[in-house]
Amino acid sequence: MLSERAKKEIEAALRKYPNRKSAVMDALRAAQKDKGHIAKDDMDEIASILEMRSVEVNAAAAFYTMYNVDRPVGKYHIQVCRNISCSLLGAEHLIKHMERALSIKTGETTPDKRFTLSTVECLGSCGTAPMMQINDDYHENLTEAKIDELLKKLE
Amino acid sequence: MHGVIIMATVKINGKEITVQDNTLILDAARDAGFEIPTFCYQADLMGIGSCRMCLVEIEGQKKLQPSCITPVLHGMSINTETPTVISARASMLEFLLANHALDCPVCDKGGECELQDMVYKYGPHKGRHAEKKFKFQEKDYALSPVIIKNSNRCVQCQKCVRVCAEVVGANVLGALGRGDHQEETSFFRHFLDCDQDGNCIEVCPVGCFMRLPYRYRTRPWDLKGADTVCPYCGTGCRMVIEHRDGVLIRSKAQLGVGLNSETLCARGRFGCDFASSTERLKTPLIRRGGSLEPASWEEALGYIKEHIPVNIGNKMGGIASPRLTNEELYLFQKLLRDIFGSPNLDSTARWEPEATEGFIKATGMDEGGVSVFDCMESDSVLVIGSHLSDENPVTDYIVRRIKNTRRMSLIIASPREMKLDSSATIKLRHSPGREAAVLDAIALAVNAGKPSPAEGAALKDAKIEDLIASAGVTKGAVEQIAQRLLAANSIAIIAGMEFLRHPEGIPELGLLKEALKSSGKKVLVMPALDRANQRGAWEMGVHPAFGPGYGPVKDKGLGCAGMLEAANRGDLDMMYIAGADVAAMHPDEEFTRKALLKLKLLVVQDIFLSETAKLAHVVLPGSSFAEKEGTFTNQEGRAQIIRKLLPPPGKAKRDLDVIRAVGEVYDPSFGPKMPVLVLDEIRNAAGMYAHVSLAFNNKRNTENKLDNRHALVQGSATSALSVTRFSAATTEPEGRFHLTTGNHLFHSGRFSRRSGTLLGLLSAAVVEISEKDAASLNLKSGDKVKVKGRHYEAILSLKTKKGSKEGVAFIAENYDDVPVNRFFKKGEPAPRVDITKVTY
Repeated sequence: MLSERAKKEIEAALRKYPNRKSAVMDALRAAQKDKGHIAKDDMDEIASILEMRSVEVNAAAAFYTMYNVDRPVGKYHIQVCRNISCSLLGAEHLIKHMERALSIKTGETTPDKRFTLSTVECLGSCGTAPMMQINDDYHENLTEAKIDELLKKLE
Repeated sequence: MHGVIIMATVKINGKEITVQDNTLILDAARDAGFEIPTFCYQADLMGIGSCRMCLVEIEGQKKLQPSCITPVLHGMSINTETPTVISARASMLEFLLANHALDCPVCDKGGECELQDMVYKYGPHKGRHAEKKFKFQEKDYALSPVIIKNSNRCVQCQKCVRVCAEVVGANVLGALGRGDHQEETSFFRHFLDCDQDGNCIEVCPVGCFMRLPYRYRTRPWDLKGADTVCPYCGTGCRMVIEHRDGVLIRSKAQLGVGLNSETLCARGRFGCDFASSTERLKTPLIRRGGSLEPASWEEALGYIKEHIPVNIGNKMGGIASPRLTNEELYLFQKLLRDIFGSPNLDSTARWEPEATEGFIKATGMDEGGVSVFDCMESDSVLVIGSHLSDENPVTDYIVRRIKNTRRMSLIIASPREMKLDSSATIKLRHSPGREAAVLDAIALAVNAGKPSPAEGAALKDAKIEDLIASAGVTKGAVEQIAQRLLAANSIAIIAGMEFLRHPEGIPELGLLKEALKSSGKKVLVMPALDRANQRGAWEMGVHPAFGPGYGPVKDKGLGCAGMLEAANRGDLDMMYIAGADVAAMHPDEEFTRKALLKLKLLVVQDIFLSETAKLAHVVLPGSSFAEKEGTFTNQEGRAQIIRKLLPPPGKAKRDLDVIRAVGEVYDPSFGPKMPVLVLDEIRNAAGMYAHVSLAFNNKRNTENKLDNRHALVQGSATSALSVTRFSAATTEPEGRFHLTTGNHLFHSGRFSRRSGTLLGLLSAAVVEISEKDAASLNLKSGDKVKVKGRHYEAILSLKTKKGSKEGVAFIAENYDDVPVNRFFKKGEPAPRVDITKVTY
């Protein structure tokens, strides 16, 4: 179920476009804000608001990696870049380090639902590689020590 | 669109050709005779240029270009066979195979797979990818009772998604994910609640979308096929039917062949298995001591000879089904008129002969064929009196596809919501059976600009008010439609079977046509018919009021209803019914059975022991469309060949041979014997057919010229038709819902009830009402409900439609368990029903 806030946000988005379908990206973003991911029901609901088919909403959402389609994530979603610049500067080691620190594998969520660890393609911050994004914030020039400190702060 | 056509001259592989500007390089190259492989390109679909198989080299451009989305430019020099292009193709295939399952030995598509063919032809014959293959799933999964899916074989061409959205309009498939992880499937792989037409299967180049009923049954090279025409509705789709060991296994469409190209509906694609049903009649039957006993042909024909005297005249009547071929229908009317001397002839148990005659006249069928493609070239198209999406699904596809590619308006007037609504410029929901008032109101609004002196403007306004109240529509909507029609230079009207159910609309159809013509518009009218050869049956003269080619007859006879009444009175002793299930289809079942039982002799020729055949004295086993040659004339007036795939089962005979055998009992020279010879006689008897060409336009994949105009019938020079005015029908006062009937998307006529696959899609009867009505009755889709009329009540499951007119209930006309004709009573107003929830 979409929250009232999300519904309001979708209504506001609808005013920006000449046809309802165009608001699908905004609607998905609004839905994801609710609980960190987009559930099946949300897509059905968005489809009926935007007068689309659920599968069309799903296709739009599934194309973009920043939408977590039917994939609940923890309170903190850690997205580590593993493209070339970050990898050359040790991203793989950092990922291993976090896997050990959180006792989960990449793609998994901690049992307490606090952390989800994923790897992503380039986030456009190669100058400060290696880097990662936790929820909406970038964390740059990472080292193992810096990560330990960060994780501690979040716990 | 009008104006100067700009041409462009380009060189393809050194060959200079001139084509229309904006032609795609791919089309230009294919026209010039060069082959370019594709996966994602299909003439009828919007180009997406995703598969990269069609890359070509353009001189002066560094990168290869996808020829399926790049138009030619004057002076371009294009090369399709350079080493770079050839190695690019091989590389693309290598990438496609990187994750492809390569399970050809167990894949149904093996042997007719485009990927197989292309790899064989363009290589590479060795893959270099060492990575583990990505898998979407371990096991194939069913998407519906007719579709099974293996995404591991997908090449991401998205043709399935596009055909579903752009042509079928169901829009239930999506391309989920991206890159090589993109899967074309339904929402969360749910079972599909869609048209189940399998067009996604047909367009799939690989074994990703597959037919569930066909699964593991055969290899394509073990099938023998015949290029024929679908036996269901009047659209007249070309298709290939195939058998193995005498069992009809599948029917499929062919890209670029027939007006339907690669599309079919659920009935055409999955419903032809009725021909191989085990319930087929295999031997003649004679009633002996109350029950029907097997007999030989000699005995059956002897029985007929013994009971029907030659020249029995109007004590005899004949009904021949619009599922028979033109040749059979022609011979049937010849038998009745010339041998028995009876004018009593009809081709349907469902409509009044005066209604069909008026409908033929009003839609101008006697003026010759009208191509659906010409209709879609019009500025405005009005669909009225037809639930086109269910009754003529492929006509619906053609309308949708063309509407979406050009500037035109599409106006749909129907009480029930239909899939085509989403493409409509204006949709009008009117009360059922009120086509007359709708057309009258539109005609008045069209003429509003030029008031006639006889009628004051005030009077006209009052009249419009009455009409819109009777039609249950708003004045604004009618005026909008009139504006659209007035703004158009050319208009096409697609008029459907509702005009025969409610014939009071027929004269108004003619009136609107004339009103528009007198305003200087070019007007085309195309009937939308629900039986494969209904138009042919009329054109062969299987009608009490006219002969072949709509020519005049000496004596006018009785139609089906008239014959039944005469039988009931004792004025008609004998009937010969070929293929029609009168007992099941004629309104008022009880009366029909009573009348048929009074006959001294009832001869029924059919392929199943139908409800009517169960009442017969003699049953003659005929043949299905797959077991004979002949021609069907579709709703447009296009004559097309049907071809024989199998011999008739057991002792059954071709219908032509059965009719001829009955004739030969009385006149040994009765004939002709061969379908082609009968057709020659038809060409002489009905001038409309004199110049019809049956040459098949059978070019595959190279062009998309679907409109075979030589097959259209000409106008009739001898037509003598008149339009009868019917008084407006009344409806019962009691009951919340006005009951309407018609064809279901999965079922039409009696054959579909013998198709195992179609029964798998929908076996139990369904009643359809609007979502609003359902909500106010606290009902939802899938509920079991009781439908109660004055004469009959039944339990059905409920289906709701969002945009249907309130107060309308629809039950298809051919459920065995709920014969809708039991709700109707002869001579009584149209039934109203109440719907209540059943709780167990």
